[in-house]
Amino acid sequence: MAFKKVKSSDRHINQLARIVGGSSSILYRKEDLLAYDCDGFTIHKALPKAVVFPKNTIEVSEVVRYCHEHNLPFLARGAGTGLSGGAIPLNEEVIISMVRMKRLLSVDLENRRAVVEPGFVNLKLTNSISDRGYYYAPDPSSQYCCTIGGNVAENAGGAHCLKYGVTTNHILGLEVVMPNGEVIEIGKNGIPDEPGYDLLGLITGSEGTLGIVTKITVRILKNPEAKQTVLAYFNHVSDGSQAVSDIVSAGIVPAALEMMDKVAIEGVEAAAYPVGHPKDIEAVLLIEVDGISAGIDEQIRQILDVCRNRNVKEVKVARDEAERGRWWANRKTGFGAMGAISPDYLVQDGVIPRSKLPEVLSRINQISNESGLRIANIFHAGDGNLHPLVLFDARKPGETQKALEAGSACLKVCADVGGTITGEHGVGIEKKEEMRFVFSDEEIKAQTDIREVFNPKNLLNAGKLFPAPGRCAEVKKEIKAAASS
Amino acid sequence: MGINELDLKQDPACSEKGLSNYLWRDHPDENKWADCVHCGMCLESCPTYEQTGQEQHSPRGRVHLIKSVAEGKLEVNEFFSDPVFACLDCRACTTACPANVDVGGLIEEARGQIRQAMPLKGWQGAVSKFVLKGIFPHPNRLNAAGSLLKFYQKSGMQKAVRQTGLIKIMPDHLVQMEAVMPEVQEPVRKKYKNEQVLKAKGKSKAEVALLTGCVMDVMFSDINEATINVLRRNGNDVIIPQNQTCCGALHVHAGDRETGRMLAKQNIEAFRDADKVIVNAAGCGCMLKEYSELFREEPEMHDKAVEFSKKVEDISKYLHETGYEKPKGEIKTRITYHDACHLAHGQNVRQEPRDILQDIPGVEMVHMPNSDRCCGSAGIYNITNPEMADAVLESKMQNVPGDVEMISMGNPGCMLQMAMGVQKYGRNQKIVHTVQLLDWAYQKEDGKERV
Amino acid sequence: MLTLEGFAELQAVMPEVEIREDSSLEGTVAIFPKTEEDIASILKYCNEKMKTVSISGGGTKRLKAGEEKADIKLSLAKYTGIVEHIPGDMTVTVKAGTRYQELQDYLAGYNQKVALDPSWPEFASVGGVVAANDSGPKRLGFGTARDAVIGLRTVYPDGRVIRSGGKVVKNVAGYDMNKLFIGSMGTLGVISEITLKLRPLPKAESLVLLSFPRERLGDLRSFVCQLLDSMMEPAALELLNPALSQKLTGADSYTLAISFEDVESSVAYQEEFVKRNKPENSRLTIQKNKEAQLFWKKVYSIAPMGTPVVEPPLGTSSLAAAALKIGVVNLNVIEVAKECQLITEANSVIAEAHGGMGTGVCQVVLRGASEDISKSISYLRDFALKLGGYATVKQLPHDLQGEIDVWGEKPSYFFLLEGIKKKIDPNKILNPNRFVGGI
Repeated sequence: MAFKKVKSSDRHINQLARIVGGSSSILYRKEDLLAYDCDGFTIHKALPKAVVFPKNTIEVSEVVRYCHEHNLPFLARGAGTGLSGGAIPLNEEVIISMVRMKRLLSVDLENRRAVVEPGFVNLKLTNSISDRGYYYAPDPSSQYCCTIGGNVAENAGGAHCLKYGVTTNHILGLEVVMPNGEVIEIGKNGIPDEPGYDLLGLITGSEGTLGIVTKITVRILKNPEAKQTVLAYFNHVSDGSQAVSDIVSAGIVPAALEMMDKVAIEGVEAAAYPVGHPKDIEAVLLIEVDGISAGIDEQIRQILDVCRNRNVKEVKVARDEAERGRWWANRKTGFGAMGAISPDYLVQDGVIPRSKLPEVLSRINQISNESGLRIANIFHAGDGNLHPLVLFDARKPGETQKALEAGSACLKVCADVGGTITGEHGVGIEKKEEMRFVFSDEEIKAQTDIREVFNPKNLLNAGKLFPAPGRCAEVKKEIKAAASS
Repeated sequence: MGINELDLKQDPACSEKGLSNYLWRDHPDENKWADCVHCGMCLESCPTYEQTGQEQHSPRGRVHLIKSVAEGKLEVNEFFSDPVFACLDCRACTTACPANVDVGGLIEEARGQIRQAMPLKGWQGAVSKFVLKGIFPHPNRLNAAGSLLKFYQKSGMQKAVRQTGLIKIMPDHLVQMEAVMPEVQEPVRKKYKNEQVLKAKGKSKAEVALLTGCVMDVMFSDINEATINVLRRNGNDVIIPQNQTCCGALHVHAGDRETGRMLAKQNIEAFRDADKVIVNAAGCGCMLKEYSELFREEPEMHDKAVEFSKKVEDISKYLHETGYEKPKGEIKTRITYHDACHLAHGQNVRQEPRDILQDIPGVEMVHMPNSDRCCGSAGIYNITNPEMADAVLESKMQNVPGDVEMISMGNPGCMLQMAMGVQKYGRNQKIVHTVQLLDWAYQKEDGKERV
Repeated sequence: MLTLEGFAELQAVMPEVEIREDSSLEGTVAIFPKTEEDIASILKYCNEKMKTVSISGGGTKRLKAGEEKADIKLSLAKYTGIVEHIPGDMTVTVKAGTRYQELQDYLAGYNQKVALDPSWPEFASVGGVVAANDSGPKRLGFGTARDAVIGLRTVYPDGRVIRSGGKVVKNVAGYDMNKLFIGSMGTLGVISEITLKLRPLPKAESLVLLSFPRERLGDLRSFVCQLLDSMMEPAALELLNPALSQKLTGADSYTLAISFEDVESSVAYQEEFVKRNKPENSRLTIQKNKEAQLFWKKVYSIAPMGTPVVEPPLGTSSLAAAALKIGVVNLNVIEVAKECQLITEANSVIAEAHGGMGTGVCQVVLRGASEDISKSISYLRDFALKLGGYATVKQLPHDLQGEIDVWGEKPSYFFLLEGIKKKIDPNKILNPNRFVGGI
């Protein structure tokens, strides 16, 4: 696109536009910014100052340096599919959209690594190496559209992290623009264990508050030789959760072990990818094992035995890749599918020790009854990562407020049984207050101390992740007030 | 800066009735956007988001804006109009959406509002009025235009224009389009004007009515001819109602819902006695099936439209469902299939045309990656938004396998656009309609070599 | 250095805690806390009095890198035991001083294990393994402490106890502070409790040794690529250079040590794959279960120990020894092994090298005269840098301690490392000079 100068009454806008290459790479009119007032978390909305679309690291660095020098708050945004509000501008930020930095820079199959730009879409990596039998393991449900840069920021998980780990376990190197514009490279050439504190580990999952990632070296894996997927229906949630424990106790490490309850089943069956789950069951398990073909049958036999011992109503093994694909599409579009049975939903992301599953599910049920809101449960049962989806209608006065409270109560339950408030979605603005369920003030201070080292001016994605005393309570109040108005 | 920001903070995801900036009847349907939870699953399916990376050019962004107007946060002005009209209306987002949000429907409704709030002015307005209102709804004028085109091609003027350099002063995209204009034949509606019923070859098992389409019948009447042939060969009596008209898709896409309604009414009437309405243009078929959307505020008409839409079927799906004779004539060719948006996303017809192609002896099917990605034709989008259409076409062409001889599809708009792509990117594939190939195979079987 | 008054004062502050003169380092005291509160009060005391503290677990990684000697040695040798083990959750929480092998033996009773294979497991403490981010050949299949640790309790120099992570296997609440402490060499805090995720014990294990004549390194490379490109799932794919191979297997050749762990049928199937694709001229032997484990045990005790508890079993104890960790791009491990063999053949030092073909992490043990060792270290470091990698020193002979730069060049982002250190340990009391750039 041709360079077109921007002439705004705001000199910052003109300068930023100059850095990124003119009018086609910046948005600054209110109407154009409206689409950036939230990400996948829609309860809180606010407009940014501008959105810029840099094409390379130098432009990112220059934008950041400009913001740093002129004390303009800024933040990075990928596809905007985050569920905790990490990319929502709380302080009239300049949003640095990374989506035009979307190249796959190199693939080195022999050494099992690939280098991508942050705007490269997760699933595209697997798609571009699958013909040679390789894949990228972290597979968040939004992998069709979320960016790997965003995955790094949130330390995204996915259905298969039970066996293969989350994003942080697959990141070998990062190029990062520091909040003052300086560019650093960590994990040169993707070689592991670089001497020094593990900044790779620290930056991954820092929700865009420590720096802006501009290049990512990831580990890629060889496809497993064989893969089998089992679907099991249970009349009682407790049988389903017991089966989960039994499978793991039998020494099987499934690639994925997913569960949905009755309300969730109603949702996915009403939406775009129904697979004909019976309506009268309480729980469905989706179990996948992979590995060496010679070992798979034995594991499947064991899994079928376990399910039968736990009164499974019906259990079946996917006949082919197409059927397996349908089962996964049904599961992976589960959140969005809630749109089919409810105008709004709030998704939570608690994690609990696996053994507490039955107890926690019954307490969530109680929360649902007390609030009068339906709660669907979709979760990665194998690693205890629950996604209670609180269904509500924002158009009804007071319901958003109720939903927020019910969501928070679910997290409290998770924290109380020794779990945590977020397994893969991040804290963002949504769960800032809930951080107190799991960390003391001192522990939170220990973390903000680290932020100060990287981001001393706190211009980068400020107001996220931590409950700053005073100010944070205010924001929370603001959200709640907004919700109830 | 900062206008309405305070309001935003205090006015979260709820719609405040009464504040709406939609001032005309038939406003965008609240229930449609209520399904959208802003998850973003649609982003990568959207060709305009792929090109721009900008939220307001993504499905969920557009839905967000459409909703914002209803909430009074945004006015119906050019900043709203741009993203809404930059949409290709390809419906890929509807396929991608886990909650089946009808983005296409919302876009069309929003366009209706925009065109009433801010009618097109200047040459755009004049051209739009001339083409959409002056020509398409009138078969005779369209035929006349077709004749002109035919005259242009046959008389040597085409050659003259190309040779004299007159072509150099035509706008780029028109030059490209001129280069791939199909040769104009006699429209079938005119040709069979006096035939009540075109009888099935052999025993007749059903009677179907054919939508001949407007542009289709003028520019691609050979495809209509092929459609009639395969229908008759497979035991169908074919009737061509003479009072049928343009389906109205182009008008509805352009925001002229009033004309759309007028055309819809005429077609519903014209096909009143038909049991089946067969369509060979994806865009038209999709429109016919969605007539009821135009009559949300007219219950009686709405019901009629719903009944009507049940009778509409794409030719490939109809053949597939009612059974067709497998051709014995061999066509030795490597072929790939492009999913027209309004077939795949609009009508969920994907496998049927592929099955038909594969039943033709000698045909070798080659997979096209992202075959259901829009080619950029999108009705008259390639005329109204040439730059974006070109970009979309370029990424489409990158997916066309290099070693195929033909690209088959089920929509005339796509055929023109793909022909342009083949020409522009120095490729040499033939563009064919699925039924054409089937018809050729039958002809070959009957010993009639294609000329 | 702690004076006698200081000693008395310390004992007065913490009457319950065992304090004694450190036998290994003259003039310093060693403290043996038994509770986390003890650790906190010791650190708080030292922080206030500006006394330096060196932290010790099993003592296998002790290495005096800088000039100064610490005032106090804080030993976690008596802070041991399993805090919580929930077999159904497959997690375990242990006190940092617990010997690594003891933990594994306990877990074996439940058919579970921590999927880490550090050096000297009988002597190393769990805290030490985590603080040094030590790993072994099986990191290919199971990862490192970064992957296994899910929660930590760390005592800061000012006595605050900071929890990071938790008891669940997935957790993104706040920064991933676990990562900060893993591999920080005790320069940020004293790790007191560790929660680890567990794996089931494999039902079968086998070790395939594939030896290649020295001139057949090309065959070795193609075989490795073939194996890595196949769908086999080796838990380790370790290359030994001839110097090390001879010692461990008796074969004076480049040897691939391939480990398979899975159910019996799968292990057998993968052995078959190797047999079927074995290059001509290579020699193949297979060792099963116990025998295989014995081999790896030998691998884990190649490197010299920081505080020698036993004589090195392999009869080379007369020579001074150093150990290096070298990181390169995976397939460059071959180059490192080759270079170490050349060094060995040049006769001044013996360089026993092994490295993971799927991980790029090598360990090199150098034996010889101190002067030659010193030269070889610089040489290998340059070599690694040229390959785009790094070399750090894990162990040094006594007379080279303090002489050699253990960590190599500071990284360009050193200001961040320094900034973190300053925030957490502003008085620099913890393991002074034990880390990169004199941190």
